[in-house]
Order: sequence, then structure tokens, then C-alpha cells
Amino acid sequence: MTTLRRNNVKVIGSGAKPMVFAHGFGCDQNMWRFVTPAFERDYRIVLFDHVGCGGSQLSAYDPQKYSSLEGYADDVIEICRALDLTHGVFVGHSVSAMIGAIASRKEPDLFDELVMIGPSPRYIDDREYTGGFSEAQIHELLDFLDANHMGWSQAMAPVIMGNPDRPELGEELTNSFCMTDPEIAKKFARVTFLSDNRADLPAVKARCLVLQCSEDVIAPQSVGEYVSRQLPNGEFVLLQATGHCPNLSAPEETVAAMKAFLEGRPG
Amino acid sequence: MAQELDDLEDLFENAPCGYVSAGADGRISKANSTFCNWLGRGKAELVGRRFQDFLNIAGKIYYETHFAPLMRMQGFFNEVALDLVRADGSPLPVLVNVVERRDEAGNLRFVRITVFNASDRRRYERELLEARRAAEKANAELMELNRTLEERIAEAVEARLKSEGALRQAQKMEAVGQLTGGIAHDFNNMLAVILSSLNLLERRLAKGEDISRYIAAARDGANRAASLTQRLLAFSRQQTLAPQPLNANQMVAEMSELLRRTLGETVQIETVLAGGLWQVFADKNLLENAVVNLAVNARDAMPEGGRLTIETANCHLDEAYAAEHAIKPGQYVMIAVTDTGTGMTPEVMAKAFDPFFTTKGPGKGTGLGLSQVFGFVKQSSGHINIYSEVGHGTTIKIYLPRFYGAAAKAPKRKVGQDLALPSGREVVLLVEDDQQVLSLTAQMLRDLGYGVIEAHDGTEALEALAAHPDISLLFTDVVMPEMNGRRLAEEALKRRPNLKVLFTTGYTRNAVVHNGVLDPAVNLLQKPASLEQLAAKVRAVLDS
Repeated sequence: MTTLRRNNVKVIGSGAKPMVFAHGFGCDQNMWRFVTPAFERDYRIVLFDHVGCGGSQLSAYDPQKYSSLEGYADDVIEICRALDLTHGVFVGHSVSAMIGAIASRKEPDLFDELVMIGPSPRYIDDREYTGGFSEAQIHELLDFLDANHMGWSQAMAPVIMGNPDRPELGEELTNSFCMTDPEIAKKFARVTFLSDNRADLPAVKARCLVLQCSEDVIAPQSVGEYVSRQLPNGEFVLLQATGHCPNLSAPEETVAAMKAFLEGRPG
Repeated sequence: MAQELDDLEDLFENAPCGYVSAGADGRISKANSTFCNWLGRGKAELVGRRFQDFLNIAGKIYYETHFAPLMRMQGFFNEVALDLVRADGSPLPVLVNVVERRDEAGNLRFVRITVFNASDRRRYERELLEARRAAEKANAELMELNRTLEERIAEAVEARLKSEGALRQAQKMEAVGQLTGGIAHDFNNMLAVILSSLNLLERRLAKGEDISRYIAAARDGANRAASLTQRLLAFSRQQTLAPQPLNANQMVAEMSELLRRTLGETVQIETVLAGGLWQVFADKNLLENAVVNLAVNARDAMPEGGRLTIETANCHLDEAYAAEHAIKPGQYVMIAVTDTGTGMTPEVMAKAFDPFFTTKGPGKGTGLGLSQVFGFVKQSSGHINIYSEVGHGTTIKIYLPRFYGAAAKAPKRKVGQDLALPSGREVVLLVEDDQQVLSLTAQMLRDLGYGVIEAHDGTEALEALAAHPDISLLFTDVVMPEMNGRRLAEEALKRRPNLKVLFTTGYTRNAVVHNGVLDPAVNLLQKPASLEQLAAKVRAVLDS
């Protein structure tokens, strides 16, 4: 099994400089569909799905390897090696912002710039650090997931789960977006929301852009500010967009901020 | 018109589901009374907030990570299970449908959110999940039970088989007990005849009277005892076979008179003899015995009389049949005995060849007959099979391997006894570890005119052989401590290659007998031997 097949890697664009897009928890490479057209002319765009998501090979899921974000970062490094790319741009959403930070720390030559959209190095509050969630809240989240309500499974895995009793529902929900294996999604949630990658941030040499949404319940503004402070070369941009996915809800604003950063203009 | 509006207003406000509208920025612009009542909040509290603000923490996260992206990409999502949080902090399980409404230019006008109260459904789901978990647990327990049940059954079956085996063994032992009791009784009678004859002999000898009557009586008793031990050996399948090329047709024909007399008038005997029947290589006496045995069984199965058919045929047992019955495939001669009697049930058939198995009442049979036939046939590399139907009759087929050698000349039976026993003047070296047997046999040989040198074991015998170059015959017991007869013979033949050797033994499973068949190269005299047998054998070996 090749790395490219394993992670369902797609390469598009006519530019030379590589730009690797990494989706976050809950989605797949489709989440970049409104953003990538803006970079196709100038960049060699690499899209992929984390193992367990989208079109990746579910059989490649190794609970041991993916029990920490390090395993996902190793996949990013392997993808770059397989495509023989260095000195690119890494664009990571949510948890993938940290995955990119780890990959960059381990292989500094891979990326010259990191774009972090809604990053959080730690979701649970810790003394002076505010992650946005109490430990109890995160455990409530994980318990809710473990309770495995049918509606959840269905909503989370519309294609994979199906619903033989209600084919019309299956048809409605059948889509090519955000497919995920429910069992792997549960484990990915655990790894994501219990992670603490604060120590990785100071080791990232690349220039970094932190794109922070307004009213982001998952990564509050204070967390985005913390991330940009901890990065040696971090810039912080607060978007007008609300929620956690500006690449979907406000692609123009997102693209503009990215271009400003990549062209060296103040955001 | 106003009434219609009222109606629509009522439908919106009091519908059985919550209606929420949000603007392109995601902020709530309108909510119906049903939704407000569910949440326990006023409309003013809701307007301007986002729908996800009223979800529990898991809902907030999943809304942002999963459903908001899904809606942005496909324009809707349906039946997503979420938990809203009421004003009092309690959760409200709901199913949420969201759809974007766009204008003709594709611009997002508003978002329609429809909320269904899923309290009951969530409870059913929980119950269903618990039922499934319980069912899975029960299934696992059942499988475990099933697994152990199989083990327990296996144990019970094994125990049952064991006890059945023990019971069978006990039944056999009981039969052996009965049999040995009978044998001991017969033996005692014979010994009584011999002993009293000897006592009388002693007294008559002292008086100088005629003693021939007592000698005859004693010899008769001893002969009967010898015949009994021969029969015992037969059912233990350790008899010595003396096979010879044999025509079964001829044998059956010769027996028919005997059978007619044995079976009585109520049984009609028919023989169907195949033309061109192959030869077999078998012990004639034992084969006759077998046929008589089968015929007697057949008669017993026909208490009201019937027809007995004895049939012969050439036949071929193919590979498949042979493999199934653990015999060699090839050409066989079949001798079948068929009756028109009561027949056997499959259970009886299965046990018919077991030693001591009998369907006859106590005292009417030992259960040894068929077992004896089976032993003989197996010992002759043959095969035996039963076909029987209850109420119709039974066929028992004996298959004996075809003999490919030249046909033997049918030896003429001797009529009467030669009065003059074969005798000679040669010197015989007699080796026997039993002192009494040694001196008795020596006396018999001397009576026949031979010179006898006695030895108690192999060492003595070899010494004697060196000291007496005139020894013509080594006559040795087979089973002796230290050096057995076979080794003694080998040593003796090394020194005297022309020496004649005659073995004698009461045992049959020994060094000179292979698989119960006489080794053609050796001469063997079966113990106990009469004077006539001894005389004939010694003379024959010396003359060979």
C-alpha cells in the first residue's frame, strides 16, 4: 500500500511551490473546495484525507500509531517524501494545525510557511492556560460519543452506516463529504480533545499565520493568541467570520488573509 | 384573509415541532412558540443568538466540526441527533433538520431549522441499545453454555461408553467363568478316568492280570482332553493352521451327508456349487468346522424347519469394498450358508462375531461358534460378512483368498490303523525341560526301537551332540528357558548340517510358527502327541 493511496492524496494546480492542505476533525479534503481555486494558478496543491476519514484506506488504521497526533504528523511527512516536496506551505485546519506544527518541528525543511486555521494546542484549561473547556466538559463530549446514539452514528457516517430500514434517509444523507468511520472518529476525537501540544510550538521554525474566527466555541480567541505568541514566527489575524470553519463559511476572507501572509503583506 | 393568516400564524407558532429561522450570519431571527416553550426561554432571548449556542457541549463541538461544514457543502443536513440545553439546565434530546434557502442569484437568504422533540425516541434508542447489549451478552453466555454443553455431553458419552465397555467386559468375564467352569468339570472327568485307570493298572499289574482295558480307557480320556484343548485354542485364534490347497466344492459335497445327519429331517439342504471354482489355501478341518458351525446356527434359526443353502462362487472384491473392510482386494472363493430362519436385527448382526455373544438361552450355546468361525477366517486372510433380514433369513458369506499354486492331490484317507507303527533304530537326541515329559517321550521312542539320548536344555544337548556322532535326529521342545529350541537347532545345524530336526510344542505362538501357520521349512509335532502320531512324524522326518 502506498502512502498516496493510503491518504487518498490528490495533487492539483499549475504552480511550482507546494501547498499542502490538511483537514480537521469531522471533515475531509472536501472542506478546502472553496479555498483551493484561489491558489491553483500559483501553487502545486496537495490534498489528502487522514486515515479513517474521507477516501482514505480504513484498513490502514493502526490504533497504536494513531493514538497520538504524532502518528498523523508522520503521515504528513511521508506524503511530502512520496511527492518529493520541500519548502512548501502547510495549511492546517483545527487539529491539523497542530499536526502541521509537529511535522514542521520534526522536518523543518518541509514547510517554509504554516497557515493555522482555528488552532488549539490544548482544549482543556490548565491553571493559567485557558483551552476553552473544563476537563468535565471534554469528558461529557467523549461520553456522549461513547453512548453511540443511532442518530449520531448516522449523522457522522452517512455513507458508511447507511440505513436499510429507511432508504430515503440514506439517499438524502448520501454525499461525498465528510465520510468517516464512526469507530475511528471516536478515537480521533479522543486523541484530538485530550491532546496537549503546547511544547511543540516554540520548536516550529517556519513562518506561521494563525487565522482566528470570531465566536469560535472550539478554539476561542485567547487560544489563538496564545498559539501565535508561543510560535517563534507567528502572526495573528482575527477574521470577521464566526464559527470554526472560515474556509467554508467565509472563503473570500480566508483566502485574502492567506495571500496577504504569503506575499509578506501585513494582514 | 385575516382568518387565514391567523391560521398560518397558529400553525407556525404551535406546530408539533420547533421552527427556527436564522440569517446568513447564522443568527436567529425568528423562533416559534413550541421551540421557546421547549427551551423555557422567551423569543427575545433567542433572537440574535446562534442555534448552536443552545446545544450542550458535545453538540456545540459536533455542530462546528461536522454539521456546519456539511451544511455549507451540501446545503442541508437531516435528522441529526443533538441535545439542547433548557433554561433550567436540563437536556432536551432533539432531531434537527437544517436547510439553506437561497435566492435566484444563489445568495443565502436564510437558514430554516426544524427541531423535533426526540425525548421518546432517544429513550427507545437507549432501551434498544441496552436490549442489544443484553442480547449480545446473553448470546455470548449462550455460546459459552453451548460450548461447555458440548464438552459435558462428550464427557457423559465417554463415561457411558466406558461403562458399556466395562459391562461388556464383565459379561465376557461371566461367560469365561461359565466356560472355564464347564471345561474344569470336563477335564476333571477325563482326569478321573485316567487316574482310576492308572490305579487299576497298578493293582492289576501287581496281580499279573490283563490290563489292556485300562490302558485303552486311560488313552481315551487323554485323547478327549487333548481334543478339548484344541477347541479352546481354536476360539482364542491361536490354533496352528495346517493350510492346504483345497477345492471347496469337493469339501462341501463330502460334508453333505454329515450335515444331513446333524441338521435333522426338518431342514432341507441344497447345494449350489459353481463350475470352475478356484482353489483356496486353507486348513481343511477348520473350514469344515466353520461350515458345520454356520449350518448348526442356521438350523437353530429355523426351529420350525426350513431350507439351508450352501453355495460356492468365484468372486472379486474390489478396492473400495476391500478398503472399507480392511482386507486385500482381489480374487476370492465365496462359501455362503443361507437359511430361511428368523433373521437378525442390525444390533444382533453388529455383535454376532463377538466372542461369547449368543442369542440362545443359558446352557444352549457358549456364544463361541461364530466367533470361532470369524477367528479362523481372519487367520486365513479371508473375510466374512452377514446379510440378514428379520423374518426372512440370514446369509453368511465366507471369502477365502484364491490359491494360485498347483492343485494338490487329494490324499486318500487312511482306513483303519496300521497295526505296525513306523519305527527305526536311529539315535534320537531328545531335548525337553520338563523331566516327566522327557522320560515319557524317551520311553515311547525306545519302545519304537530308537536309541535315545536325553538332554534337559540346549547346553546339555550341544554337549551330547559333540559326544555322539551317531545322532540322526534332534527332537526338541521349542519353549525352554535360556536357549530356545529354534536357537538350539540353529547351533546344532551349524555343527551337523545334515542333522534332521523335529520340533514339538504345546504352545503355538512361538519361534517356529509364523502367524499361526506352520513354517514350511520346519517339522513340528503338536503336543500332546499320541504314540501313533509320534511314530509317524519321527519316521517321516528321518526319511525326509
